[in-house]
Amino acid sequence: MKVKTFHEYIFTLQQGKKRFLATRNLSPGSQVYGERLVQVEQAEYRIWEPKRSKLAAMLLKKLPSPFTTTSKVLYLGSATGTTVSHVSDIVHQGVVYAVEFSPRTMRDMLPICEERPNIIPLLADASKPQSYANVVEPVDVIFQDVAQPDQASIALSNVQHFLKPGGYLLMSIKARSVDSTAKPDTVFKQQLITLLEQDNSKLELVKKQKLAPFHIDHLGVVVKKTE
Amino acid sequence: MNVKTWFADIEINEDGSVADCRPCSQDVQQLAERLLVFQADPKQIPPARFDPVQNAIECGFAAGETEYYSLLQQTCIAATRLKIKNSYSPDLRIIHAVEALDDIDEAANLLAERLGIWYGEHFPEAGMLTENLAKFVAENGLRQDLQQDSQFHEAARSSVGMEMDAEDGAIIKAFAADLTSLYERRHVIEAYIHKNMKQLAPNLDEVAGANLGARLISMAGGLQSLSRMPSSTIQVMGANQALFKHLRGKASSPKHGIIFNHPLIKNSHPKIRGKMARALASSLSIASRVDAFSGQLNPTIKEKLDRKVRSIKGGSK
Ligand SMILES: C[S@@+](CC[C@H](N)C(=O)[O-])C[C@H]1O[C@@H](n2cnc3c(N)ncnc32)[C@H](O)[C@@H]1O
Repeated sequence: MKVKTFHEYIFTLQQGKKRFLATRNLSPGSQVYGERLVQVEQAEYRIWEPKRSKLAAMLLKKLPSPFTTTSKVLYLGSATGTTVSHVSDIVHQGVVYAVEFSPRTMRDMLPICEERPNIIPLLADASKPQSYANVVEPVDVIFQDVAQPDQASIALSNVQHFLKPGGYLLMSIKARSVDSTAKPDTVFKQQLITLLEQDNSKLELVKKQKLAPFHIDHLGVVVKKTE
Repeated sequence: MNVKTWFADIEINEDGSVADCRPCSQDVQQLAERLLVFQADPKQIPPARFDPVQNAIECGFAAGETEYYSLLQQTCIAATRLKIKNSYSPDLRIIHAVEALDDIDEAANLLAERLGIWYGEHFPEAGMLTENLAKFVAENGLRQDLQQDSQFHEAARSSVGMEMDAEDGAIIKAFAADLTSLYERRHVIEAYIHKNMKQLAPNLDEVAGANLGARLISMAGGLQSLSRMPSSTIQVMGANQALFKHLRGKASSPKHGIIFNHPLIKNSHPKIRGKMARALASSLSIASRVDAFSGQLNPTIKEKLDRKVRSIKGGSK
């Protein structure tokens, strides 16, 4: 397979006509969730399926990536760590604060943290950023995938607490979690209003993009904190 | 301003500079406990944009970034482990026991059916089913092994069933013994559920009975979530396909789900079942709330339901 750089430390592997998104395995030899491992020359890559990860879908749908190898990232709604593990590969010299409020789910993520020195697990509620404010440092990127009715305001309160000026918020909005009866477009619009039209929130929409066909009725959003 | 980070108590000046810093020791377990205390009740929160990493190094808690992050990760993992360990609610034991009971039922039904067909080939006149048959075969074995004084002795002598030899007998007897022990395990688990229900959900136990009460907790995914359900949901819980296995083939209509198994409904005239179901569901909802929040038995819940039942019955005459 042929390796190309997609952006910074995110790669694509080309096999014939097929192209896969991939990250370089920070913990060579070990799989996190059954993903394919591919050895190319001296490095091992983990195939990153857009159907299994909102972030991978966002990247393939051409939303800009803010990640560098040294980024500090606050990840809200880490679940069992599928996407977190790829972020951990990308920011291999940085750090990922992974917030998840379900103990069962977090139980499955702990082994991944133990293998990867840059994941800091936080079993906490993302709607209460004060509760981890004595741990988390100012970050370059906030990624949020909590699938909750009040996801825009959860994002906002974390942005206020932790996002550096010039930093980015990436967010996946799941229409059905916000309102299962309203039209997705209506939900997206209303969530964006909550997010962007606050007085002095200093947030600016960079790009939004629906995540179909990878995730139906999801909107990917990239927002920049201007100062 | 006095603030707390996970690694130190810090005094910050008006201009944001550090006036004083008292770092903790590098004992990960102690740090984890400190973290959890803060998490439960966040006080003296560092201001936005406070940089803990630089601060920890300046204040001598960590020698450099590498050591800082290593300690931070160890601490957060330790704290997460502690929190996970303390997150299991006591009703989980009931949920697992109810599910084990269902699994046993499924397995036992299957094996009992097999035994019925198998042993029926040999001794069709025995005329027993399920647990009785399993016990009988496990104790007696084949027709020819029956004691003189057995009530089946005569039927066995004149049986039209297939002949079986000692080898067949040993196999089928052992099979029946396995099934018997499955039934015994079922009784033990049931007793365990009864005992635990009395402790964990005394009101639900009194209104619903231990079996139905435990089943409601299991279906809701816990006592807390049951207590948060409106009584209209409790009333039809288990009426849908997915939860049907809990009903074990007993009839049910969407007017009442699993609570149909309660004698108040099962034994009532179909005309008043709807009203009974509503009254029962509302009483169950109250019982579960009291159980979730106080855990004390409150006899007035059941008394109120009894009064309501009398009035429904009276009105239907
Ligand atoms: C859609 S899943 C995330 C999947 C994950 N991002 C991935 O791609 O691997 C949403 C997760 O957010 C968690 N969650 C929901 N609300 C939360 C909150 N307020 N605080 C922390 N986690 C939350 C849920 O428990 C669930 O595990």
